[in-house]
Amino acid sequence: MAEEHLDDVYRYLLYVTGNPHLAEDLAAATFERALKRWRRFDPRRGSARTWLCQLARGTALDHFRAEQRRRRREDAYAVEVPDAEEPIFGEGLSPALDAAVSSLSAAEREVVVLRVVLELDGETTASVLGIRPTAVSTRLSRALQKLEERMVSDVRG
Amino acid sequence: MSEARFENVLRELHATAPPAPAELRERVRAMPEPQRRGFKLRPALAAAAAIAVAVGIGVAAIQAFTESPDRNREALNVELPGASRVPQQTRNLPANPSTRADNGASSLGKSLELTPLNPGSRLQEYDVSMSVRVDDLSRGTKSAIRTTRRLDGYVAAADYSTGGSTGDSRLDLRVPVQRVQTAIARFTELGTILSQRIAVADLQAGADSLDRRIAAARRIVEKFAGRMDLAPAERAQLESARRTIERLSRSRARLVRQGTYANISLMLTTRTPAAKQEAPGRFGRFWGDAGDILGKEAIIVLYALVVAGPFVLLAVLALLAERARRRRADSLLLKETA
Repeated sequence: MAEEHLDDVYRYLLYVTGNPHLAEDLAAATFERALKRWRRFDPRRGSARTWLCQLARGTALDHFRAEQRRRRREDAYAVEVPDAEEPIFGEGLSPALDAAVSSLSAAEREVVVLRVVLELDGETTASVLGIRPTAVSTRLSRALQKLEERMVSDVRG
Repeated sequence: MSEARFENVLRELHATAPPAPAELRERVRAMPEPQRRGFKLRPALAAAAAIAVAVGIGVAAIQAFTESPDRNREALNVELPGASRVPQQTRNLPANPSTRADNGASSLGKSLELTPLNPGSRLQEYDVSMSVRVDDLSRGTKSAIRTTRRLDGYVAAADYSTGGSTGDSRLDLRVPVQRVQTAIARFTELGTILSQRIAVADLQAGADSLDRRIAAARRIVEKFAGRMDLAPAERAQLESARRTIERLSRSRARLVRQGTYANISLMLTTRTPAAKQEAPGRFGRFWGDAGDILGKEAIIVLYALVVAGPFVLLAVLALLAERARRRRADSLLLKETA
């Protein structure tokens, strides 16, 4: 089951964090957490992929909270910037699109990856994000609109 | 940006999504296999409920099959009110007439077999109590009185009262013992017998004893009667014997009167008797006890829910509020994260 959904979990975390190395670490942490909580998984409440995405989201949020605390503590936050020459969100992805996706917030990238990349339906996405399906549609629409604007401005620029 | 180009963008995002790195794949492969689920809340709750029911039924079964069947009778005595209580019918009077036969006797309906009475040569006291349901209280009462007089008996006391559609009539009757069986049979025909009690006491032994003592006294009287030269002691003995004969004769006469007329206490009523309650059998008690125990368990659970309910509700509300707050904080955190 882990291997079957590993790519999805990794892609999700890559989009949420925007950092391949961090996504890799968080994906490993997600599966460690899944092994510990395997007894809590109930197939009647959702698929394994949904459950793993929920766990991955929790892992990512824990990381972001820890980073936020560290940032406040150190009063200086050095963002780990990946190699700019390599596209972050996919091999072969156009630099313009990669930059546009990077410019989105984690919340926007999160809904894009779930609905567009992983092709989850609205209900399942809502279940992962803990919001209503209508809110998912709204958030996706805004994210795509923003993506479009960035792409247009990039083309013009 | 055109629709087609935008669709191409989405397709590009989907198509170029990177797979998990080989190193991550190896790390995940190295992780141990997850263990199967152990404790499950719902099956545990179901098991707890099943245990509670099993305990109730088990205790009830033990009680039902270990307790004495006498409990039936105790329960019957407690549950049945006096008015509807039906004593057991006496089938046979005791063989030994010297002991007082005070057996309850009753039956329902006209199919009642009359208790065989044997008012023969022996002197016996009859005490009969009957309760009969009649349709017409006035006619029943008059008929009972008429029957008593026809049998050369008499009414010692009568209490007739009616109220609305119901009423009672209590008759204290005296009937010659030789005709007591006929009287009971006639009273039975007045309506439906609700209860019947016949007590027989043998008076013959007492009468025989009195006769022997009277005869002894008479012998003394005969011995000294007609003699003029009686010594003072002999004269006193004669007087004492005469007083004894007089006293014992009065006692004997009273005894004979007791044995001449039977006391019949007849109650006529128009009231419908309460339905006879059958004493439950073992299985009846078993189910009754099981129901009681399960009911008590339900009361305990209900009580616990009532006591703990507000606290549980507050905890649930606090939990929901915390979840909502955390969700908002998470959402804000992701929006702020680049």
